[in-house]
Amino acid sequence: MSSVEVKDLSVRAGSKVLVSKVTLSIDPGTWCTIIGPNGAGKTTLVETIAGLRRASHGTISILGQEIAAMNERQRALRVALVPQHPVVPSGMSVYDYVALGRVAHHGLFHSASARDRTVVESVLERLSLIEFRERDVATLSGGERQRMVLARALTQSTMVVVLDEPTTGLDLRHQMDLLELLKSEVHECGLTIIATLHDLTLAGQFADRLVLLDKGEVVLDGPAAQVIRSDELARRYGMTLRVVDVDGSDVVVPVRR
Amino acid sequence: MTNPPTRSRVAVVAAGTVVALVVAIVCGLVIGPTSIGTWRIVGDMLAHVGIGHNTLTPLQSTIVWQYRAPRMVIGLLAGSMLAVAGGTYQGVFRNPLADPYLLGVASGAGLGATFAIIDISHGTGTPAWTPLLAFVGALGAVTVTWLIGGRSLRSNTATLILAGVAVASLLTSAQTFLQQQSSAGSIARVYIWLLGSLASAGWGTVWLVFPYVIVCIIICVGAGRALDVMSVGEDESRSLGVPVRRVRFIVIAASSLGTAAIVSAVGLVGFVGIIVPHIVRLLVGTSYRRILPISVIFGAAFLVFADTIARTVIAPSELPLGVVTALIGAPVFVIILSLRRPVAI
Repeated sequence: MSSVEVKDLSVRAGSKVLVSKVTLSIDPGTWCTIIGPNGAGKTTLVETIAGLRRASHGTISILGQEIAAMNERQRALRVALVPQHPVVPSGMSVYDYVALGRVAHHGLFHSASARDRTVVESVLERLSLIEFRERDVATLSGGERQRMVLARALTQSTMVVVLDEPTTGLDLRHQMDLLELLKSEVHECGLTIIATLHDLTLAGQFADRLVLLDKGEVVLDGPAAQVIRSDELARRYGMTLRVVDVDGSDVVVPVRR
Repeated sequence: MTNPPTRSRVAVVAAGTVVALVVAIVCGLVIGPTSIGTWRIVGDMLAHVGIGHNTLTPLQSTIVWQYRAPRMVIGLLAGSMLAVAGGTYQGVFRNPLADPYLLGVASGAGLGATFAIIDISHGTGTPAWTPLLAFVGALGAVTVTWLIGGRSLRSNTATLILAGVAVASLLTSAQTFLQQQSSAGSIARVYIWLLGSLASAGWGTVWLVFPYVIVCIIICVGAGRALDVMSVGEDESRSLGVPVRRVRFIVIAASSLGTAAIVSAVGLVGFVGIIVPHIVRLLVGTSYRRILPISVIFGAAFLVFADTIARTVIAPSELPLGVVTALIGAPVFVIILSLRRPVAI
């Protein structure tokens, strides 16, 4: 059974079509990155998969169950979201913020159980956040903050994690650190990752599968190495791209006109 | 920047608030123009539950149990409700200026009361219909606000707030027009009502508002965890499993209903709903699981203290309660604000 099954999905905002007839089937333990130029519909697609937008047409199933039939809590137990611009509420401790990921497990009217606390502690430990647990979230650096948001998503203990531009605002080292961390979670926990990324090199290096979206439609869908070397990719971005092999890794280089 | 308050600090604040509440209750029963000793009141209280014998004369007993006690209890209920409603509104709207009157409760109640005082009594008094019309006016105003702006809650809360501003302006204009058509005497009575007072509260009033207030307080305090999650915004809250729109509707309805019940009983007591949650937030941090229950206790203590001052400093006359809450609350808030870093909503 696929982890995520998107069938003939269309999303509209008024008369404007944001996503058109997208069909995807993503296997468990796969890292699938959605790429495409600005306005391609990447964020709309992942937000719809996370249940934050309604589909105008088509269906999305997570682990065999349609998300349209789920309430918020059921959805939160199946898919976690790392938003592009997370709201970081000043005054909240890192521990409390990460523990928000367990709310769907213990409910709004019950306190966290021993198991909930163990999960939070374990994720804080794995993501090297344990030393910050009592810190005000507003005092963290950009890299620490992004790790904390990822920690909250992992604390939800879902098999599917959706990330919308998770490396926004991070320097190169922190981008690599975050994606390596995520990759290790995919390997260790068998997570299915659906991410959007602007950086084609990082997208190619970390994803198992790339989906190129343009004007809301899937243009290319295949193994990362194949999509990254396609001529269609450059055409859709409207520029010249070269793919250079550096120590066995593909690096996408834009060429100046 | 400092770290969020520790559990021990929160426990100290909570204990301090409970002590303040006990002191406020004692002051509410003991202090008044007729001097009656604390221990005699305590002895009489125990006699009511079968321990010892009556220690008060019949007149003193009437003063304490038929005048001061219901006034003190309605003060507790009003302070709790207004404080928790203010805290809840601030959480739902993520707006530090939100108070229980944000969606038009005050102007609706004001118009209802003005109509009762000026039109029904023809300016000859404050009729028994006043609380009922104030209650109807308050709920009517919130309902209209919701019908205009409630749909926008799908995307944001700004339209609901603006709808509240528009409804409040309209109703206040209608109230002003009514006042303009009436005599100076009835305008004075309207103003007295608008400034709030616990003077006319008896046990009947207490039992009338008690069920509304208790249920509404329980709902608001119970929403603390949901409001904590909602501090990360609507989309993220939904992705974390919170049915944001349903929570908003329930807590806004509970806050508005409880506030309407209180306002209809004691008039427009200002300042408590905005200042108490802020003071508590400065002391215990931003978690609504802490802010709301502590605001319930602190608001109760605060209003009973304020009422004790209102009815004693210029006895036998009384100061308007709303004036006293502002006169005490503002300096206390400024002092705490200057001592501690402001925290986010």
